[in-house]
Amino acid sequence: MRTKKVFKILGIILGLIVITIGCFIGYGYYMFNSSLMPEHEPFEHASHYIDPETALLNENFKVCDENYIAQYYNTQELPYPNGKNRFRNYINLAYVNNNYSDSGYLNIRFIVNCEGEVGRFVIHENNLDLEPTTFNENLKKQLFKLTSEAKGWKPTVLWEENRDSYMYVSYRIENGEITEIIP
Amino acid sequence: MERLLKLFLSIAVAFSALSCDSKRERAEAVYKRAIHYPQGSMMSINGIKRATEIDSTYDEAVRELSVAYLKRGLPHKWKPQIDKAIECAPSLWQGYRGYNYLWFYRDYKKAIADFDATDSLTPNFIDAPQGHSVDYWRGICYLGLKDYKNSIAYFDKYINTEIEESGEDWVEVTAFLYRGIAYFETENYDQALLNFEKQLQYSRNQSADAKYYKALIFKFQGRIKEAMVLIEEAINDYNIGYYNNRPYVETLRQIYPEDLDAFRSNLK
Repeated sequence: MRTKKVFKILGIILGLIVITIGCFIGYGYYMFNSSLMPEHEPFEHASHYIDPETALLNENFKVCDENYIAQYYNTQELPYPNGKNRFRNYINLAYVNNNYSDSGYLNIRFIVNCEGEVGRFVIHENNLDLEPTTFNENLKKQLFKLTSEAKGWKPTVLWEENRDSYMYVSYRIENGEITEIIP
Repeated sequence: MERLLKLFLSIAVAFSALSCDSKRERAEAVYKRAIHYPQGSMMSINGIKRATEIDSTYDEAVRELSVAYLKRGLPHKWKPQIDKAIECAPSLWQGYRGYNYLWFYRDYKKAIADFDATDSLTPNFIDAPQGHSVDYWRGICYLGLKDYKNSIAYFDKYINTEIEESGEDWVEVTAFLYRGIAYFETENYDQALLNFEKQLQYSRNQSADAKYYKALIFKFQGRIKEAMVLIEEAINDYNIGYYNNRPYVETLRQIYPEDLDAFRSNLK
Protein backbone atom coordinates (compact mmCIF):
# COMPACT_ATOMS: atom_id res chain seq x y z
CA MET A 1 0.00 0.00 0.00
CA ARG A 2 2.83 2.26 0.99
CA THR A 3 4.84 1.40 -2.15
CA LYS A 4 1.81 2.21 -4.25
CA LYS A 5 1.57 5.62 -2.63
CA VAL A 6 5.26 6.32 -3.24
CA PHE A 7 4.86 5.41 -6.92
CA LYS A 8 1.79 7.62 -7.13
CA ILE A 9 3.70 10.60 -5.70
CA LEU A 10 6.67 9.92 -7.97
CA GLY A 11 4.31 9.71 -10.94
CA ILE A 12 2.75 13.05 -10.04
CA ILE A 13 6.18 14.68 -9.62
CA LEU A 14 7.41 13.24 -12.92
CA GLY A 15 4.22 14.35 -14.64
CA LEU A 16 4.62 17.86 -13.28
CA ILE A 17 8.25 17.99 -14.39
CA VAL A 18 7.29 16.87 -17.91
CA ILE A 19 4.48 19.44 -18.06
CA THR A 20 6.82 22.19 -16.77
CA ILE A 21 9.49 21.35 -19.34
CA GLY A 22 6.83 21.19 -22.07
CA CYS A 23 5.46 24.58 -21.02
CA PHE A 24 8.97 26.02 -20.91
CA ILE A 25 9.80 24.77 -24.41
CA GLY A 26 6.43 25.89 -25.73
CA TYR A 27 6.82 29.32 -24.17
CA GLY A 28 10.35 29.66 -25.56
CA TYR A 29 9.17 28.64 -29.02
CA TYR A 30 6.32 31.12 -28.83
CA MET A 31 8.53 33.95 -27.61
CA PHE A 32 11.37 33.44 -30.08
CA ASN A 33 9.35 32.22 -33.04
CA SER A 34 5.58 32.58 -33.28
CA SER A 35 5.40 35.90 -31.43
CA LEU A 36 7.92 37.38 -33.89
CA MET A 37 5.91 36.63 -36.99
CA PRO A 38 4.24 39.66 -38.56
CA GLU A 39 0.51 39.46 -39.17
CA HIS A 40 0.87 40.84 -42.68
CA GLU A 41 3.24 39.62 -45.37
CA PRO A 42 5.96 37.97 -43.31
CA PHE A 43 9.36 37.74 -44.97
CA GLU A 44 10.05 34.35 -46.47
CA HIS A 45 13.79 34.85 -46.75
CA ALA A 46 16.65 36.76 -45.16
CA SER A 47 17.26 40.28 -46.49
CA HIS A 48 20.34 39.19 -48.46
CA TYR A 49 18.78 36.10 -50.05
CA ILE A 50 19.45 35.57 -53.74
CA ASP A 51 17.20 32.99 -55.34
CA PRO A 52 19.47 30.37 -56.98
CA GLU A 53 16.70 29.58 -59.49
CA THR A 54 16.57 33.07 -60.93
CA ALA A 55 20.15 34.21 -60.25
CA LEU A 56 22.63 34.87 -63.05
CA LEU A 57 25.71 32.67 -63.50
CA ASN A 58 24.60 30.19 -60.88
CA GLU A 59 25.04 27.04 -62.97
CA ASN A 60 28.10 25.11 -61.84
CA PHE A 61 28.62 27.61 -59.04
CA LYS A 62 29.02 25.95 -55.69
CA VAL A 63 29.00 27.46 -52.25
CA CYS A 64 30.96 25.63 -49.59
CA ASP A 65 28.26 25.82 -46.94
CA GLU A 66 24.75 26.64 -48.06
CA ASN A 67 23.65 26.90 -44.41
CA TYR A 68 26.09 29.64 -43.48
CA ILE A 69 26.91 32.43 -45.89
CA ALA A 70 28.57 35.40 -44.16
CA GLN A 71 28.62 39.07 -45.22
CA TYR A 72 31.59 40.71 -46.95
CA TYR A 73 32.07 43.07 -44.01
CA ASN A 74 32.54 40.30 -41.48
CA THR A 75 36.28 40.77 -42.01
CA GLN A 76 38.04 44.12 -42.11
CA GLU A 77 39.52 44.01 -45.60
CA LEU A 78 37.15 44.54 -48.50
CA PRO A 79 37.21 41.45 -50.77
CA TYR A 80 38.00 43.17 -54.08
CA PRO A 81 40.51 41.39 -56.32
CA ASN A 82 43.95 42.96 -55.70
CA GLY A 83 42.37 45.59 -53.46
CA LYS A 84 39.74 48.24 -54.09
CA ASN A 85 42.13 50.64 -55.78
CA ARG A 86 43.21 48.17 -58.44
CA PHE A 87 39.64 46.97 -58.97
CA ARG A 88 38.56 50.59 -59.53
CA ASN A 89 41.40 51.09 -61.99
CA TYR A 90 40.48 47.87 -63.82
CA ILE A 91 36.85 48.98 -64.17
CA ASN A 92 37.64 52.56 -65.12
CA LEU A 93 40.14 51.47 -67.78
CA ALA A 94 37.88 48.84 -69.32
CA TYR A 95 34.51 50.62 -69.13
CA VAL A 96 33.48 52.61 -72.18
CA ASN A 97 30.77 55.26 -72.00
CA ASN A 98 29.02 54.80 -75.33
CA ASN A 99 27.18 58.11 -75.05
CA TYR A 100 24.97 56.74 -72.32
CA SER A 101 22.73 59.26 -70.62
CA ASP A 102 21.91 57.05 -67.63
CA SER A 103 22.28 58.20 -64.03
CA GLY A 104 21.75 56.15 -60.90
CA TYR A 105 23.11 53.20 -58.98
CA LEU A 106 23.72 49.94 -60.77
CA ASN A 107 24.16 47.43 -57.98
CA ILE A 108 25.44 43.93 -58.62
CA ARG A 109 25.04 41.48 -55.74
CA PHE A 110 26.61 38.05 -55.66
CA ILE A 111 28.35 35.44 -53.54
CA VAL A 112 32.11 35.04 -53.16
CA ASN A 113 32.55 31.41 -52.18
CA CYS A 114 35.19 30.08 -49.81
CA GLU A 115 37.53 29.49 -52.77
CA GLY A 116 37.25 33.03 -54.08
CA GLU A 117 34.96 32.12 -56.99
CA VAL A 118 31.95 34.30 -57.70
CA GLY A 119 28.44 33.38 -58.80
CA ARG A 120 24.71 33.67 -58.08
CA PHE A 121 24.46 37.25 -59.35
CA VAL A 122 21.52 39.59 -59.21
CA ILE A 123 21.34 43.15 -60.56
CA HIS A 124 19.39 46.05 -59.04
CA GLU A 125 18.84 49.23 -61.02
CA ASN A 126 17.92 52.45 -59.21
CA ASN A 127 18.02 56.13 -60.07
CA LEU A 128 19.94 58.71 -58.02
CA ASP A 129 16.89 59.09 -55.75
CA LEU A 130 17.16 55.34 -55.07
CA GLU A 131 13.98 54.48 -56.93
CA PRO A 132 13.82 51.54 -59.33
CA THR A 133 14.72 52.39 -62.90
CA THR A 134 16.09 50.69 -66.01
CA PHE A 135 19.60 51.24 -67.32
CA ASN A 136 20.71 51.07 -70.91
CA GLU A 137 21.03 47.35 -71.69
CA ASN A 138 24.50 47.71 -73.16
CA LEU A 139 25.79 49.66 -70.14
CA LYS A 140 24.36 47.02 -67.83
CA LYS A 141 25.88 44.15 -69.81
CA GLN A 142 29.25 45.85 -69.86
CA LEU A 143 29.46 46.36 -66.09
CA PHE A 144 28.03 42.93 -65.34
CA LYS A 145 30.62 41.29 -67.59
CA LEU A 146 33.51 43.25 -66.08
CA THR A 147 32.39 42.54 -62.52
CA SER A 148 31.62 38.86 -62.98
CA GLU A 149 34.79 38.17 -64.95
CA ALA A 150 37.15 39.78 -62.41
CA LYS A 151 39.32 37.09 -60.85
CA GLY A 152 40.84 36.89 -57.40
CA TRP A 153 38.02 37.90 -55.06
CA LYS A 154 39.02 37.27 -51.48
CA PRO A 155 36.93 34.91 -49.38
CA THR A 156 35.79 36.11 -45.98
CA VAL A 157 37.86 34.59 -43.19
CA LEU A 158 36.00 33.80 -39.99
CA TRP A 159 37.28 31.74 -37.10
CA GLU A 160 40.42 31.08 -39.17
CA GLU A 161 38.45 29.45 -41.97
CA ASN A 162 37.55 30.66 -45.44
CA ARG A 163 33.81 31.22 -45.74
CA ASP A 164 31.29 32.03 -48.42
CA SER A 165 29.98 35.58 -48.24
CA TYR A 166 27.51 37.92 -49.86
CA MET A 167 29.12 40.87 -51.64
CA TYR A 168 27.85 43.73 -53.74
CA VAL A 169 29.39 46.34 -56.01
CA SER A 170 27.47 49.55 -56.46
CA TYR A 171 28.33 51.72 -59.46
CA ARG A 172 27.19 55.31 -59.05
CA ILE A 173 26.70 56.54 -62.58
CA GLU A 174 26.13 60.13 -63.69
CA ASN A 175 25.32 60.70 -67.36
CA GLY A 176 26.92 57.42 -68.27
CA GLU A 177 30.15 58.05 -66.31
CA ILE A 178 31.11 55.97 -63.29
CA THR A 179 31.62 58.51 -60.50
CA GLU A 180 31.88 56.14 -57.53
CA ILE A 181 32.37 52.46 -56.85
CA ILE A 182 30.97 51.40 -53.49
CA PRO A 183 31.58 49.85 -50.94
CA MET B 1 -8.15 21.07 -5.35
CA GLU B 2 -8.61 24.44 -3.74
CA ARG B 3 -4.85 25.01 -3.84
CA LEU B 4 -4.69 24.12 -7.50
CA LEU B 5 -7.48 26.58 -8.24
CA LYS B 6 -5.57 29.31 -6.43
CA LEU B 7 -2.45 28.52 -8.47
CA PHE B 8 -4.35 28.80 -11.77
CA LEU B 9 -5.93 32.06 -10.64
CA SER B 10 -2.51 33.49 -9.76
CA ILE B 11 -1.16 32.54 -13.18
CA ALA B 12 -4.20 34.11 -14.85
CA VAL B 13 -3.71 37.32 -12.84
CA ALA B 14 0.00 37.38 -13.77
CA PHE B 15 -0.81 37.02 -17.48
CA SER B 16 -3.49 39.69 -17.37
CA ALA B 17 -1.01 42.02 -15.64
CA LEU B 18 1.47 41.38 -18.45
CA SER B 19 -1.12 42.13 -21.09
CA CYS B 20 -1.66 45.56 -19.53
CA ASP B 21 1.66 46.70 -21.07
CA SER B 22 1.40 49.68 -23.38
CA LYS B 23 1.65 49.27 -27.13
CA ARG B 24 5.21 50.65 -27.07
CA GLU B 25 6.27 48.30 -24.28
CA ARG B 26 4.94 45.29 -26.15
CA ALA B 27 6.65 46.43 -29.35
CA GLU B 28 9.92 46.94 -27.47
CA ALA B 29 9.70 43.46 -25.98
CA VAL B 30 9.22 41.90 -29.43
CA TYR B 31 12.00 44.07 -30.89
CA LYS B 32 14.45 43.05 -28.17
CA ARG B 33 13.80 39.38 -28.89
CA ALA B 34 14.07 39.91 -32.65
CA ILE B 35 17.51 41.51 -32.47
CA HIS B 36 18.88 38.40 -30.81
CA TYR B 37 18.88 36.94 -34.30
CA PRO B 38 21.64 37.96 -36.75
CA GLN B 39 20.93 41.29 -38.44
CA GLY B 40 19.09 40.79 -41.71
CA SER B 41 18.18 37.16 -41.00
CA MET B 42 14.61 36.10 -41.67
CA MET B 43 13.67 35.87 -38.00
CA SER B 44 15.30 39.21 -37.24
CA ILE B 45 13.48 41.17 -39.94
CA ASN B 46 10.20 39.39 -39.27
CA GLY B 47 10.40 40.18 -35.55
CA ILE B 48 11.30 43.81 -36.17
CA LYS B 49 8.44 44.09 -38.64
CA ARG B 50 6.11 42.59 -36.03
CA ALA B 51 7.29 45.23 -33.55
CA THR B 52 6.41 47.95 -36.06
CA GLU B 53 3.01 46.37 -36.57
CA ILE B 54 2.35 46.59 -32.84
CA ASP B 55 3.51 50.21 -32.71
CA SER B 56 4.02 51.88 -36.07
CA THR B 57 5.53 54.96 -34.34
CA TYR B 58 8.35 52.95 -32.75
CA ASP B 59 11.07 54.74 -34.72
CA GLU B 60 14.02 52.64 -33.51
CA ALA B 61 12.41 49.47 -34.89
CA VAL B 62 11.32 51.23 -38.10
CA ARG B 63 14.92 52.39 -38.63
CA GLU B 64 16.49 49.06 -37.73
CA LEU B 65 14.41 47.36 -40.40
CA SER B 66 16.23 49.48 -42.99
CA VAL B 67 19.78 48.71 -41.86
CA ALA B 68 20.27 45.24 -43.34
CA TYR B 69 19.24 46.56 -46.77
CA LEU B 70 21.67 49.44 -46.46
CA LYS B 71 24.58 47.12 -45.74
CA ARG B 72 23.65 44.65 -48.46
CA GLY B 73 23.33 46.98 -51.41
CA LEU B 74 19.55 47.14 -51.73
CA PRO B 75 18.86 50.90 -51.94
CA HIS B 76 15.27 50.55 -53.18
CA LYS B 77 14.44 48.69 -49.97
CA TRP B 78 16.52 50.87 -47.65
CA LYS B 79 15.21 54.25 -48.77
CA PRO B 80 11.44 53.85 -48.17
CA GLN B 81 12.13 52.31 -44.77
CA ILE B 82 14.55 54.98 -43.52
CA ASP B 83 12.12 57.63 -44.76
CA LYS B 84 9.44 56.09 -42.54
CA ALA B 85 11.78 56.35 -39.54
CA ILE B 86 12.34 60.03 -40.32
CA GLU B 87 8.57 60.55 -40.47
CA CYS B 88 8.36 59.06 -36.96
CA ALA B 89 11.22 61.08 -35.46
CA PRO B 90 12.91 63.53 -37.84
CA SER B 91 15.23 65.04 -35.24
CA LEU B 92 16.62 61.60 -34.44
CA TRP B 93 17.04 60.09 -37.89
CA GLN B 94 17.46 62.77 -40.53
CA GLY B 95 21.12 63.32 -39.64
CA TYR B 96 21.60 59.57 -39.56
CA ARG B 97 20.20 59.30 -43.11
CA GLY B 98 22.68 62.00 -44.13
CA TYR B 99 25.50 59.90 -42.70
CA ASN B 100 24.32 56.97 -44.81
CA TYR B 101 24.00 59.09 -47.94
CA LEU B 102 27.59 60.14 -47.34
CA TRP B 103 29.18 56.73 -46.84
CA PHE B 104 26.95 54.17 -48.55
CA TYR B 105 25.92 56.26 -51.56
CA ARG B 106 28.60 58.94 -51.77
CA ASP B 107 25.80 61.40 -52.39
CA TYR B 108 27.41 64.41 -50.77
CA LYS B 109 24.69 66.86 -51.73
CA LYS B 110 21.86 64.79 -50.29
CA ALA B 111 23.97 64.19 -47.17
CA ILE B 112 24.57 67.92 -46.72
CA ALA B 113 20.85 68.62 -47.16
CA ASP B 114 20.07 66.19 -44.34
CA PHE B 115 22.80 67.58 -42.08
CA ASP B 116 21.59 71.13 -42.80
CA ALA B 117 18.05 70.07 -41.90
CA THR B 118 19.22 69.05 -38.43
CA ASP B 119 20.21 72.69 -37.80
CA SER B 120 16.58 73.76 -38.11
CA LEU B 121 15.17 70.66 -36.42
CA THR B 122 17.31 71.21 -33.32
CA PRO B 123 18.36 74.90 -33.45
CA ASN B 124 19.99 75.00 -30.01
CA PHE B 125 21.96 71.82 -30.37
CA ILE B 126 24.69 70.52 -32.69
CA ASP B 127 23.57 67.04 -33.72
CA ALA B 128 26.04 64.20 -33.75
CA PRO B 129 24.74 61.33 -35.88
CA GLN B 130 26.85 58.19 -35.43
CA GLY B 131 28.90 59.88 -32.76
CA HIS B 132 30.28 62.87 -34.63
CA SER B 133 29.13 66.45 -35.03
CA VAL B 134 27.22 67.31 -38.22
CA ASP B 135 29.90 69.95 -38.80
CA TYR B 136 32.56 67.23 -38.97
CA TRP B 137 30.39 65.24 -41.42
CA ARG B 138 29.73 68.37 -43.50
CA GLY B 139 33.48 69.01 -43.64
CA ILE B 140 33.92 65.54 -45.16
CA CYS B 141 31.00 66.03 -47.60
CA TYR B 142 32.45 69.29 -48.92
CA LEU B 143 35.86 67.64 -49.25
CA GLY B 144 34.14 64.95 -51.35
CA LEU B 145 32.64 67.72 -53.48
CA LYS B 146 36.09 69.32 -53.79
CA ASP B 147 34.64 72.48 -52.23
CA TYR B 148 37.71 73.04 -50.07
CA LYS B 149 36.67 76.43 -48.75
CA ASN B 150 33.48 75.10 -47.19
CA SER B 151 35.23 71.93 -46.09
CA ILE B 152 37.81 73.94 -44.13
CA ALA B 153 35.10 76.21 -42.72
CA TYR B 154 33.12 73.27 -41.31
CA PHE B 155 36.21 71.53 -39.94
CA ASP B 156 37.19 74.86 -38.32
CA LYS B 157 33.74 75.11 -36.75
CA TYR B 158 33.85 71.53 -35.50
CA ILE B 159 37.41 71.66 -34.18
CA ASN B 160 37.04 75.07 -32.51
CA THR B 161 33.80 74.06 -30.81
CA GLU B 162 35.37 70.85 -29.57
CA ILE B 163 38.45 72.67 -28.24
CA GLU B 164 36.26 75.25 -26.51
CA GLU B 165 33.95 72.71 -24.91
CA SER B 166 36.25 69.77 -24.13
CA GLY B 167 39.83 70.40 -25.21
CA GLU B 168 41.93 69.68 -28.28
CA ASP B 169 42.57 66.07 -27.31
CA TRP B 170 38.82 65.44 -27.69
CA VAL B 171 38.83 66.38 -31.37
CA GLU B 172 38.24 63.44 -33.72
CA VAL B 173 41.75 62.97 -35.05
CA THR B 174 40.70 62.49 -38.69
CA ALA B 175 39.30 66.05 -38.64
CA PHE B 176 42.92 67.25 -38.62
CA LEU B 177 43.80 64.84 -41.41
CA TYR B 178 40.90 65.90 -43.62
CA ARG B 179 41.38 69.60 -42.93
CA GLY B 180 45.04 69.08 -43.80
CA ILE B 181 44.04 67.44 -47.10
CA ALA B 182 41.70 70.34 -47.89
CA TYR B 183 44.58 72.80 -47.28
CA PHE B 184 46.91 70.54 -49.30
CA GLU B 185 44.51 70.68 -52.26
CA THR B 186 44.46 74.49 -52.08
CA GLU B 187 48.28 74.43 -51.97
CA ASN B 188 48.34 76.06 -48.55
CA TYR B 189 51.15 73.78 -47.46
CA ASP B 190 51.97 75.57 -44.20
CA GLN B 191 48.44 75.08 -42.88
CA ALA B 192 48.34 71.54 -44.29
CA LEU B 193 51.54 70.63 -42.43
CA LEU B 194 50.19 72.08 -39.18
CA ASN B 195 47.14 69.83 -39.47
CA PHE B 196 49.13 66.72 -40.34
CA GLU B 197 51.35 67.43 -37.32
CA LYS B 198 48.22 67.59 -35.13
CA GLN B 199 47.04 64.30 -36.60
CA LEU B 200 50.39 62.73 -35.71
CA GLN B 201 50.49 64.36 -32.28
CA TYR B 202 47.19 62.72 -31.33
CA SER B 203 47.98 59.39 -33.02
CA ARG B 204 51.19 58.63 -31.12
CA ASN B 205 53.10 59.58 -34.28
CA GLN B 206 51.55 56.69 -36.20
CA SER B 207 49.56 57.61 -39.28
CA ALA B 208 50.44 56.45 -42.78
CA ASP B 209 48.10 59.11 -44.21
CA ALA B 210 49.59 62.10 -42.41
CA LYS B 211 53.14 60.99 -43.24
CA TYR B 212 52.23 60.32 -46.88
CA TYR B 213 50.76 63.80 -47.32
CA LYS B 214 53.68 65.38 -45.50
CA ALA B 215 56.04 63.52 -47.82
CA LEU B 216 54.09 64.83 -50.83
CA ILE B 217 54.52 68.40 -49.57
CA PHE B 218 58.22 67.88 -48.89
CA LYS B 219 58.64 66.60 -52.43
CA PHE B 220 56.99 69.74 -53.82
CA GLN B 221 59.33 71.79 -51.63
CA GLY B 222 62.37 69.88 -52.86
CA ARG B 223 63.07 68.28 -49.48
CA ILE B 224 63.62 64.87 -51.04
CA LYS B 225 65.62 63.24 -48.22
CA GLU B 226 62.97 64.13 -45.65
CA ALA B 227 60.26 62.91 -48.01
CA MET B 228 62.07 59.60 -48.39
CA VAL B 229 62.33 59.09 -44.63
CA LEU B 230 58.64 59.92 -44.23
CA ILE B 231 57.40 57.62 -46.97
CA GLU B 232 59.36 54.72 -45.45
CA GLU B 233 57.70 55.48 -42.12
CA ALA B 234 54.31 55.76 -43.83
CA ILE B 235 54.75 52.32 -45.40
CA ASN B 236 55.70 50.91 -42.03
CA ASP B 237 52.68 52.52 -40.35
CA TYR B 238 50.43 51.17 -43.08
CA ASN B 239 51.79 47.66 -42.70
CA ILE B 240 51.04 47.63 -38.99
CA GLY B 241 47.52 48.92 -39.56
CA TYR B 242 47.79 52.65 -38.88
CA TYR B 243 45.94 54.09 -41.85
CA ASN B 244 42.61 55.81 -42.25
CA ASN B 245 39.83 53.34 -43.05
CA ARG B 246 36.33 52.54 -41.92
CA PRO B 247 34.07 49.49 -41.65
CA TYR B 248 31.66 48.47 -44.44
CA VAL B 249 32.94 50.92 -47.05
CA GLU B 250 36.10 52.55 -48.36
CA THR B 251 36.75 55.83 -46.59
CA LEU B 252 37.18 59.17 -48.34
CA ARG B 253 40.70 59.63 -49.71
CA GLN B 254 41.71 56.16 -48.55
CA ILE B 255 45.35 55.41 -49.35
CA TYR B 256 46.66 52.06 -50.58
CA PRO B 257 50.06 50.34 -50.46
CA GLU B 258 50.48 50.86 -54.20
CA ASP B 259 50.09 54.65 -53.75
CA LEU B 260 52.90 54.63 -51.22
CA ASP B 261 55.12 52.32 -53.29
CA ALA B 262 54.59 54.42 -56.42
CA PHE B 263 55.50 57.59 -54.57
CA ARG B 264 58.65 56.00 -53.13
CA SER B 265 59.69 54.78 -56.59
CA ASN B 266 59.22 58.29 -58.00
CA LEU B 267 61.45 59.74 -55.31
CA LYS B 268 64.36 57.46 -56.17
